[in-house]
Amino acid sequence: MRKAIPTFLIICILTGFLLAFQFTTQNKNASFNAVSQRNNNLITIIHDLEKEIANQEDQIEAMRAQLNDLQSTHSKGKLQDLQTTLAKAKVEAGLTPVVGKGIIITIDDNQEGMKANPNDDPNKYIVHDEHLLNLVNELRIGSAEAIAINGHRLITTSEIRCVGNLINVDMSRVAPPYEIRAIGSPKLMIESISMGKLAELENDNYPITIEESEHLVIPAYRGDLQFKYTNKS
Amino acid sequence: MWLVLPLLGLIIGAYLGSAVTFQLPAVYLKYMSIAVLASLDSVFGGIKAILEEKFDGTILLTGFFSNALLAALLTYLGDRLGVDLYYAAIFAFGVRLFHNLATIRHYCLLSFRKKRSMRQEYDGMRHGEYDE
Repeated sequence: MRKAIPTFLIICILTGFLLAFQFTTQNKNASFNAVSQRNNNLITIIHDLEKEIANQEDQIEAMRAQLNDLQSTHSKGKLQDLQTTLAKAKVEAGLTPVVGKGIIITIDDNQEGMKANPNDDPNKYIVHDEHLLNLVNELRIGSAEAIAINGHRLITTSEIRCVGNLINVDMSRVAPPYEIRAIGSPKLMIESISMGKLAELENDNYPITIEESEHLVIPAYRGDLQFKYTNKS
Repeated sequence: MWLVLPLLGLIIGAYLGSAVTFQLPAVYLKYMSIAVLASLDSVFGGIKAILEEKFDGTILLTGFFSNALLAALLTYLGDRLGVDLYYAAIFAFGVRLFHNLATIRHYCLLSFRKKRSMRQEYDGMRHGEYDE
């Protein structure tokens, strides 16, 4: 039996080595899985693209400012009339920052409700794209002239869309709390909202506040605005 | 005394194995698990052979490597063919593990009983002496 000892020891050491090695690899694999790594890659791609978008939006803004400067320098006779019309049209289209009397609606997820019922469907407690759409609709019924959600100006082509647990406004992600600024008659807008979905939202215990403001600043639309298919009829 | 040996070897091996930081590509994980099974099988086979006093180091070592090689071959072939042939290896090793363990258990129990009955006989004889 003495002869057995060295060989047997070798086998045992080998087994122990393999076991421990396999164990550690499995442990690492549990924390490191391919899907989450892929997700991380996607997240970095999204962040990079968002940075790029922000850069390009800044560029657009700078070029618009330049254009405005150029347009305001040479103005004589009929051209001046045209330029005033253009300036007015730009304000209406949402291409310039505007200021005026209006209201600020702030709405947040119902976090207390979510905490109180952790087993419940969280969809019942978060603010959805429909809520924002309804509020914007009602503001427009109350003749709002300019609207922005979390600093994103809404124009005629703007969309409000659900993307997972966030909301996209004009292709940019916005996160709760949502602040909707609207310029217009505060009285009309508040009336319109109160007659609409406000009661429903309050019923569902969403924290929602409405403030009036005398001097509300709404930024310009930051995106690109190109009509490729539309022609003047 | 010899029962301490596999434990000691396992501990030394485990220490070495956990000290290694090298990471295996995910593709080879299957092969690793097969290797683990093959070596476990060898350990049990070795214990069994020692108990039966039929231990032969060369047979054990060559058995270990040929088993591991065949298992790896099956795994590779299975990967190529799209059939999980490595289950065959897992199954074979698993069955052998249980079989070896059963033999070891039988052997230990039998020798334990034999010893006890021998001691009883011996005690009986001594009592007999005193009685008379």
